[in-house]
Amino acid sequence: MQEENFSPEQSLQLIRSMIDKAKQDMSDNSIYFLVWGWITFIACTGQFFLKHIAGYAQHYQVWWLIIVGIVFSTWKGIKDRKIEKAATYVGDSMRNLWMGMGISFFVLSMILTKIGWEFPVFPFFILLYGLGTFVSGNILKFRPLLIGGIVAWGLAIGSVYVTYDYQLLFGAAAILFSYIIPAYMLQARNTSAHP
Amino acid sequence: MQPEKQLTEKESLDLIAMMISKARDSNHDTGWSAMMWGAIIAVCSLVKLSEIHFGYQLPFDIYWLTLLAVVPQIIMSIREKKLRKVKTYDDIYMDYLWLAFGISIFLLIFITNAVFAVWEPVFDEYTKLTGHNPAFKFREFNASFFLLLYGIPTFVTGAACKFKPMLVGGIICWVCAILAVFTTIKIDLLLTAFAAVFAWLVPGIILEREYRKAKKGLEQAHV
Repeated sequence: MQEENFSPEQSLQLIRSMIDKAKQDMSDNSIYFLVWGWITFIACTGQFFLKHIAGYAQHYQVWWLIIVGIVFSTWKGIKDRKIEKAATYVGDSMRNLWMGMGISFFVLSMILTKIGWEFPVFPFFILLYGLGTFVSGNILKFRPLLIGGIVAWGLAIGSVYVTYDYQLLFGAAAILFSYIIPAYMLQARNTSAHP
Repeated sequence: MQPEKQLTEKESLDLIAMMISKARDSNHDTGWSAMMWGAIIAVCSLVKLSEIHFGYQLPFDIYWLTLLAVVPQIIMSIREKKLRKVKTYDDIYMDYLWLAFGISIFLLIFITNAVFAVWEPVFDEYTKLTGHNPAFKFREFNASFFLLLYGIPTFVTGAACKFKPMLVGGIICWVCAILAVFTTIKIDLLLTAFAAVFAWLVPGIILEREYRKAKKGLEQAHV
């Protein structure tokens, strides 16, 4: 078998194309950001409406919506695993980061289940939204995600000064700025780059 | 001018691997940072535990030590930044991950203090009126939030660098975070010290040993 020869420029080109490939993969996977973003956004605003406006006692039932996210993520995860994709360093970094974030959201939910969900829980969630998106924005060199992370941290600080009901709206705003808007921008960039 | 040297595919990959390993002589892999933070958090937790257990109080809050430790961290980071010849993608990733963690810790301190300020007077009022302590006290859950946060960069670093001791350390932090919601403040402090030792101190010692060994090997190779 003849071994292919690479010039140093070609080698660098190879590395650069691997990073671009990871960015492409990430924008392909922006559907996860969008699904989870919209589910959380609807749940937060829905709970605010049911609790604050409609005065419905079982306002928290709206959070059963996350089952849709779990079912979707499981289905999409299994489906995507069947499609062989070349592993990239950036792609692996994103996967490791969001695996860590996913476990953290689960652990935070366990902690809050014991403390009680009527406790001011949203500053803690918003803080984590900010952490994940800030690091992602830097890994992908994608400014909207980075700014979204910083906005989420600002909202985490602001949310401690308002009552539980309004914390729901802070949570919705954090999701909008750190997940939903950057995900749409990532998709748009992907579409314009690869029409 | 010399003709451009053609690299085979294997040579190209070797070159990339060498660049990565060269850049691994950075602060993340010398282990000193992990060792320092692991030791400081463990000491702070154990001193706080002894204050509660033996009923004495230091003239200062022991957790101020963590702020002091930021100074050598910054000095060493600047020094190593100057020495660092190659900055790999790995370095940039780790820098941002731990920067985000640092910011999050400050925000968590701010949030928990704000929550304390609102809830503690309510609990005190309840105790005065009823004559007994409320079933719920936020202070008892404080450690869980910090342990949860400690786990994130530790686990992600372990996974990204394929360094099992840190990966396991991150998981230990999360397990301790869940356990701490069921235990008293004293046990919470013990769990925090335990997590700090296994998430940072022990992996830091392992990294430092490997770093020394690799450095020695390089020096011998150059003799």
